[in-house]
Amino acid sequence: MTALRTLLRESDLSRPRVALAILTGSAALGSAVGLAAVAAWLIARAAGMPSPADLALAAVVVRFFGIGRGLFRYLERLVSHDAALRGVVALRARVYERLAAARADKVLGLRRGDTLSRIGADVDSVGDAVVRGIIPLGVAVVVSGIAVGINGWMDPRAGAVLAVALVVAGVGAAALTWRSARLAAEASVTADARVTEAVMSSVDAAAEHKVWGTAAAARASLREADAEAERAQDRSARPAAFAAALQALSAGAALVGCLWIAVTGAADGLYGPTTAAIIVLLPLASFEAVGGVPAAVTQLFRSRKAAERILDIAPNTPEAEDGAPSAGTTPDAQEPVATDTVPAVELVAVSAAWPGMTPTTPLSATVHRGGALAIVGRSGVGKTTLLTTIAGALAPAAGSVRIEGKPATRELLGTTVGMTAEDAHVFGTSILENLRVARGDVSDHEAVEALTLVGLMPWVNGLADGVHTVIGAGGDSISGGERRRLLLARAFLTPQPVVLIDEPAEHLDTAGRAALTAVLQRLRQQDRTVVIVTHHLDLTAHVDTVVSLDV
Amino acid sequence: MRPLDPRLAGRIGPARRYIIVTAVLGLATAITIGFQALVLSRALAPVLAPTPLTDDGLGPVGFLVPIEARTLSVALTWLVVIVLIRVALTWTQERLAHRAGAQVISELREQVVAHAAALGPRWIASGEGTAVATTVTRGLESLMPYFVRYLPQLLLSATVTPIMLVVVLGLDWISALIVIGTLPLVPIFMVLIGLVTRERSAKHLEAMQKLAERTLDLIAGLPTLRALGRERGPAARVRELGEAQRSATMGSLRIAFMSGMALELLTTLAVALVAVTLGFRLVDGDVSIETALAVLILAPEVYLPLRMVGTHFHASADGLAAADAAFEVLERPVVAPGGNAPAPSLHGATVVVEDLSVATPDGRRLAPARLNVVARPGTVTALVGPNGDGKSTALAAIMGLLEPDSGFVAALTSAGRTDASAVESEGWSTQFAWAPQRPDLGPEGRTLSLGQRQRVALDRALGAGRPVVVLDEPTSHLDRSSRDEVIARIVDAASAGATVVVATHEEALIHAADSVVEVTAMEVAR
Repeated sequence: MTALRTLLRESDLSRPRVALAILTGSAALGSAVGLAAVAAWLIARAAGMPSPADLALAAVVVRFFGIGRGLFRYLERLVSHDAALRGVVALRARVYERLAAARADKVLGLRRGDTLSRIGADVDSVGDAVVRGIIPLGVAVVVSGIAVGINGWMDPRAGAVLAVALVVAGVGAAALTWRSARLAAEASVTADARVTEAVMSSVDAAAEHKVWGTAAAARASLREADAEAERAQDRSARPAAFAAALQALSAGAALVGCLWIAVTGAADGLYGPTTAAIIVLLPLASFEAVGGVPAAVTQLFRSRKAAERILDIAPNTPEAEDGAPSAGTTPDAQEPVATDTVPAVELVAVSAAWPGMTPTTPLSATVHRGGALAIVGRSGVGKTTLLTTIAGALAPAAGSVRIEGKPATRELLGTTVGMTAEDAHVFGTSILENLRVARGDVSDHEAVEALTLVGLMPWVNGLADGVHTVIGAGGDSISGGERRRLLLARAFLTPQPVVLIDEPAEHLDTAGRAALTAVLQRLRQQDRTVVIVTHHLDLTAHVDTVVSLDV
Repeated sequence: MRPLDPRLAGRIGPARRYIIVTAVLGLATAITIGFQALVLSRALAPVLAPTPLTDDGLGPVGFLVPIEARTLSVALTWLVVIVLIRVALTWTQERLAHRAGAQVISELREQVVAHAAALGPRWIASGEGTAVATTVTRGLESLMPYFVRYLPQLLLSATVTPIMLVVVLGLDWISALIVIGTLPLVPIFMVLIGLVTRERSAKHLEAMQKLAERTLDLIAGLPTLRALGRERGPAARVRELGEAQRSATMGSLRIAFMSGMALELLTTLAVALVAVTLGFRLVDGDVSIETALAVLILAPEVYLPLRMVGTHFHASADGLAAADAAFEVLERPVVAPGGNAPAPSLHGATVVVEDLSVATPDGRRLAPARLNVVARPGTVTALVGPNGDGKSTALAAIMGLLEPDSGFVAALTSAGRTDASAVESEGWSTQFAWAPQRPDLGPEGRTLSLGQRQRVALDRALGAGRPVVVLDEPTSHLDRSSRDEVIARIVDAASAGATVVVATHEEALIHAADSVVEVTAMEVAR
C-alpha cells in the first residue's frame, strides 16, 4: 500500500473534500437506512390505528429520506470526483516533472515499449482509488455504524448481532476479495503472458504458419494457453465467490437473529411493536452499505499496482548516480570550449549498449568544429544506441566520448548537444510550435527559412493555415517523408553547437535526401558540428569522416 | 446503446448457455426474495397487531406461506432455509459468471485470432495486427466485469422486477398501481435527460478527450524534449491542461450524474410513497398489517435490479465496446489470395514476376513498383535495393501470401504457364521453403536470440526439400565465416535443383547469385 499512499499524499488530496464526500455519501446511503427505519415505525404505529395526525411527522420524514438518497448521492458523486480529479491533475504534473528531471538514459529509454502510453491510465487509476475505493469504504463504515447504533439503542443484543454480521460481511469479504485480486494478478504474470505470446505468434507470424503448415499447431498452442488462463482465472475467482456468498450469509444471519430478538423481546414486554418492527426491518436496508466493499477493495488493489508502476518509472527519491555519466563526477567541471585545437567530438574506441545488449563494434573518430561525421551500418547493428551514447545519455560500454574536450555527460544534452532521434515526436500542435520545440523564440520568419531549406514550403503553403496549421495527434496527418523533413527543420533550428541526427533506415525519398544534404551544409556553414547516423552512402560526399559499424 | 450484443449470444456458445442459466438463477432468486418477504410479514404481524389475528392477511398470495409461520419457530425455520438457498444461489451465480466470462473471452479470442490470421500479412502489417493483439488480450478483459456484474443484474431486472410486481399486485393493488406508475418514469426520465443534455455532454466529452490527448502528447514527447534540453517548460502546461480538463470533466459529470440522480430519486421516492400510503390506509383499516409489511419489504426489491443496472452501466459500456472491436475484426471479409484450381507442382518450375506493384499500407508509395523477376530452377536470384523499397513484400507476393495491386506471379512448367492468382493458395504457398527476417519458430524458439532463430529458420528452409527456397536477408546476423558457409549452402541448394530467391544486401551473396534484380519503390502521385 505504501506506493499508493505515497502518491495519494503527493497528489495534494484535500482531506476536507474527501471527508465531505464520505459525509454526503453516508447521508445518501443513510437515507436508505433511515427510510427503512422510519417506514417500519410508521407501519407499526399505524397498525395500532392512532389518529392520522400521529403519523404526519413520520410521513414527512419518510418522504424526506426518499428524496434525500438521490440528492445526497448526486452531491457525493460530484464532490468525490472533484477531489479525485484535483489529485490526478496535481499528480500528473508531479510525474511529468519527475520524468523531466530523471536521468537522460532513463527518459530516452522510455520510448521503448508502451510505458509512456500507460502512465496516463495509471495516474487516472490512482484517482479512481479515491472515488471507487476510499470513499465507498468510508461510507460503508459510517453507515454500518449508524445502523448498528440505531439497532443497539433499541436493543443492545440486536445491535451486537448486526455489528458482528456487518463486520463479517465487510472485513471478511474485503480479505477474500483482496486474495482473489492477488491471485488474479499473479496469474496474469504467467498465464496472460503466455496467451499474449501465443496471440502474437498466431497473428504476426500468420504468413509463416501458412507456408510451413503450422497454423493448426499455433492455434493449438493458443488454445492451451487459453485453457491455462481459464484455470488460473477460475482459481482466483473462488475467493470472490466466497466473498459474495459470505455477504449473503451474514445478511441472512442478521435477519434471522434480529427477528428472533425482536419477537421474543416484544413478547417479554421489553419494548413495543414499533421498536420490534425497526429491529427486524433495519438489517434489510443496512447491508447495502457493505455491498460495495468488494468492488472498492478490487479498485484499491488495481490502484496500488498502478501506483507501483508509476513509482517504478518516476521514483520520488533522487536516483543513485550510476548509469549515465554526470558532470559532478568529473573533478574539473567547467564550461567546455571548442577551439581549433580541441576537437568538437572525439570518440576513443567507444562501444555502446543498452543493458543486456551486445555492445557495438568499437569506433574511434575525431571531428573538429564545423565538421561532420557519418556513422553507417546495417539495421539493428546499434547505430541509434551509439548516438545516444555520444549524446551523453548512456554510459559507454567501453571506450570514451569527449565533447569539446570534456567527457560526454548527461548535463551536456540540451546545452552543448542537441539530438534528433529517428522516432522524435511530432506534437499535436501547429507546425510553428513543433519547430519551437527546438528553441522557444523561433520567429515566423525563421520557421519559413528552415522549412524552405528542407523543401517543405510548397506543402505548408498548400495547408489551410500555413505554419499555424495543427498537425500530429488530432490535426492534419503528415506523411513519413514530410515528418522526416519537419524533424530536419527542427534539428536545424536547435541552438546547440553539436547536432546529432539519427536518420531513419527507411522511407527517405529523393526530397528527403536533398533536405538532409541542405541542412548538413547549412549547419556546417554556421560552424556547428554534426554527427549523423545514416543508411545512405551518397551522403558521404558531404561529410569529413565516415565510420562503419559493420563487422 | 443496446444492453446486450446479440452477436455475443448468437455466435459464442458459452455466452448463450450462461445467459440462459443466469436467467434461471435470477428466477430462483426472485422466488426466494418473495418468500422471504411473506415469511417476515407473517412473523412480525402478531407482534404489531393490536388484537389477535384471525384472518389470513395476505389475501390471494397467502397460500404460498402457511399461516403457521406466525409462530416464531416456524418462521425462523422457513427463514433459515430461504437464507441458505440464497447463499447457494449467490455462490453458484458468482462461480458461473467468472467461469463463463473466461470461456467467452477465450472463445472470442480464438475466433478473432484465427480470422486475423486469415486476413493476411498485408492487413496485419497495416498496423491492424498490433491493434488486434491489444483487443484480444487487454481489451477483452473488460468483458469480465460485464459478465460477472452487469449481465446478471440486467437479467434480474428482467425476472425479479416483473415477478415482484405480480406479487405486490396480488397483495395490494393500490401499492402495485404506485409502483406501476413510477416504474416507466425511470426509463422515460433517463431518456429525456439524455436527450436534453446530449449536445452539451457531447461537447464536454470532446473537450475532455482533446485535453487528455494533449497531456499524453506532451508526456509522449518527453524523450524528444529531453534530447533538445527543453523538458522543463511544459510542466506548467501539463498542470494548466489538467485544470482545464478537470473543469471540463466536472461540467460533463454535473450533467451525466443527473440521470443517476433521477434514477435514485424516483425509485426511493416511490418506496417512500408506498410506505406513507400504506400507513394512512392501515389507520383507516383498509389494508391488513401482514399485507402492509410484505409490500413494504418487497417495494425496494422491485427497483433494486434497475438501480444496480445503472450502477454497473460503465462495466457494460466498456465490455460492449471490447466485444464490438472483436466483432469488427470478425466481420471483416476475408479476401483470400488465389483461386480454386489445384496448384501445379513447382518442382523444376520457373517462377516469374511480371510488372508487380504493391501499395504500402498508407497508400502513398508502391513498394515494390513494377517489379519483373525470372527465377529459374537450379539458380539463385537475388533481389537487391534499399530497405523499405519492397523486397520482403515481393517475396510474400511470390509465395502467394498477398494479392498484388497490379501485375502477376506465375509458374512456368512443362505443362505451361499457371498464374498464382488462379490456383488454390494453400497448395501454392506450402511449396515454398521460407526463412523470414524475424522467424517465429513457436514456443521453443523463444529462448533463442534473433541470430540463432534465423539460423534455425535457415536450416529448416534449406533442409525442407521444397521446390522453391525463399530467403529474406539470410546473412544479416552472421559473422564472416558462417556467412560464407551459408552462401555455399544456398548455392548447393540451387545446384540440387531448387529455385532459390533471396533478398539481400550482402555483396558476397549478390556476387554468388546467378541473376540480380533491383527492387525499386515509387511515390504515388497525389
